[in-house]
Amino acid sequence: MSDATLEQSRRALGEAERQRERSERRRGFILALPSFAYMVIFFAIPLVIVLVYSFATRTSTGSTALSDWNLDAYRKLGEPIVRNVVVRSVILALITTLVCLVVAYPFAWFCATRSALTRNLLLVAVMIPFWTNFLVRNYAWRILLSAGGPISSFTEAIGLGETNILFTKTAVVIGLVYAYLPFMILPLYASIDRLDRRLVEASSDLYASGPQTFRRVVLPLTMPGVIAGSILVFVPSMGAYVTPELLGGGKETLLGSYIVTQFLTARNWPVGASLSFVLMAVMLVSTIIYFRSGGKNL
Amino acid sequence: MSEPPGSDLNPAAAVSLRGISKFFDDVTAVDHVDLEIGDGEFFALLGPSGCGKTTTLRMIGGLEIPSEGSLRIFGDEVGPLPPNKRPVNTVFQNYALFPHMSVADNVAFGLRMRKVDRAETASRVAQAISLVRMAGMENRRPAQLSGGQQQRVALARALVNRPKVLLLDEPLAALDLKLRQEMQFELKQLQREVGITFVFVTHDQEEALALSDRIGVMNEGRLLQVGTPEEMYDAPVDRFVADFIGRSNFLAGTLEDVSTVCLANGTRIRVPAVDAEIAAPGSAIQVSLRPERVMIADESAAPEGAASLSGRVSAVTFLGNSIVYHVGLDWMTVEVETDHRPDLRRHAVGDDVVLWWRDDAIAVVRP
Repeated sequence: MSDATLEQSRRALGEAERQRERSERRRGFILALPSFAYMVIFFAIPLVIVLVYSFATRTSTGSTALSDWNLDAYRKLGEPIVRNVVVRSVILALITTLVCLVVAYPFAWFCATRSALTRNLLLVAVMIPFWTNFLVRNYAWRILLSAGGPISSFTEAIGLGETNILFTKTAVVIGLVYAYLPFMILPLYASIDRLDRRLVEASSDLYASGPQTFRRVVLPLTMPGVIAGSILVFVPSMGAYVTPELLGGGKETLLGSYIVTQFLTARNWPVGASLSFVLMAVMLVSTIIYFRSGGKNL
Repeated sequence: MSEPPGSDLNPAAAVSLRGISKFFDDVTAVDHVDLEIGDGEFFALLGPSGCGKTTTLRMIGGLEIPSEGSLRIFGDEVGPLPPNKRPVNTVFQNYALFPHMSVADNVAFGLRMRKVDRAETASRVAQAISLVRMAGMENRRPAQLSGGQQQRVALARALVNRPKVLLLDEPLAALDLKLRQEMQFELKQLQREVGITFVFVTHDQEEALALSDRIGVMNEGRLLQVGTPEEMYDAPVDRFVADFIGRSNFLAGTLEDVSTVCLANGTRIRVPAVDAEIAAPGSAIQVSLRPERVMIADESAAPEGAASLSGRVSAVTFLGNSIVYHVGLDWMTVEVETDHRPDLRRHAVGDDVVLWWRDDAIAVVRP
């Protein structure tokens, strides 16, 4: 072949390769389009609307004027009343996360160390309540926890007297733990399942006791699951609305109900919007930070 | 072979197993193993996968509890003790280094768990790391090390604890051939340096021959034979052993008296005196004949006096340093390996030949 024809064929092949890359990119974009459109329409655009409203002005009649853009709503978030609601919600979400973690870890460990059949059955059992209507489950807890309910009858029967947990913080935590436990179990299960059992044996071979092995080897290596599960429980617990209303009786205002109040009762849309947006932003940022750093450590 | 059961325990034995069995549900993984491993010995447990060698090692390490029998380490019964209560350490297959810790932290782990003081820990860790020639790598993570380096760290992590016995589970299996040969040499060197009893498990017969002072061959949960590499090669007592270590021809026959075998074709041959434990006179046995111990010559050149078999060459394979002949007898085919030397007569396919051997070239084995 002469140099000229060689050069010609090289050019033709280069062109064919570029064309193939272009068509592959186009195909990927078309496949992603439906989910992309869905996210834009039902997530991004509403988020922008919320953001816009947070800078709007509340008129004296309680309607919202999309003019005179200002930061009043954000300033209001610094007031003690809002701060108390935030602190209370954070504490409740932390307790919920912690209880979930303590309950889920041994269960996830148990699951991950069973035979394939048993673990699948157990995981399905974890998911079943999840497919039941959320409200139904909350009302079920109302019955269980109420003064004349089964739990109360039981404690009375064994001589501990009547218990009345309904409409307390405890009831809210119980309800939230129940609701979000699967979110904790699944990532924990995944990370424990991935843990190389030989590392546990190696630790024991190197004179570590059970608790030492857990603290030095098992926990650090399953930390990605712990953190992922904690985020997945903490985030929805922070904004929970239905459970605190139904099981807590709305006695103590939490973030979710406070935001609802701002929109529906106080008719202060800018404050509701700003609070929603800040809550969302904090969660989003912390999640991103986690997955960025987690991606490198794993 | 091992002494008859019930004999007194040797107090000097580093590891002693008496009637050790391990059952998993209805599967017998290890079946009544009697074994004594001496202090300072480099001992190999050799066998195919699933033969029970790893389970035996794990029982010595405490990772499995024996179903029955007595397991002692330097005279102390350790059968039911957990791994962290035994004076042994294990180098795991694929090393099982802690991925979230540096090399130095991996090596220090055992000492920290036993609350050895800080200064001593630091000096012993440094010593162990330099022993395996990993100095300068202390702050690396296992993922940043090559297979051979991880292997060294795993050795340091175990040796730093000064175990009385070091257990190694297929320590070289994950390495490529060249590195494996290097590490074999290093491992042997290291064992001589530290003087600790090494017990290692392998399915690689060459590795076992090259490294160990003694070898125990296992199959289907039973320990078939224990001996030095030379004993195992030259005087196997079980067909499986002769087959697993090196290559061999097996000639069926009957033991007529302690040192005479009648082969299946009626030929009588003399054999080294057969232990009553292997076979009693009158029983069916097999004779193991190593290809390189068989002599081959033209039919006319048959030696006087020695038992010989005549046959015809059916295949010739040239291997560089040697030539392998397949010689068809009436009743079986025998493999013969000779050196490739210009002064040796080269036979061709179809040649009529005779085969013979020295009496001590054969071993009578259990069929």
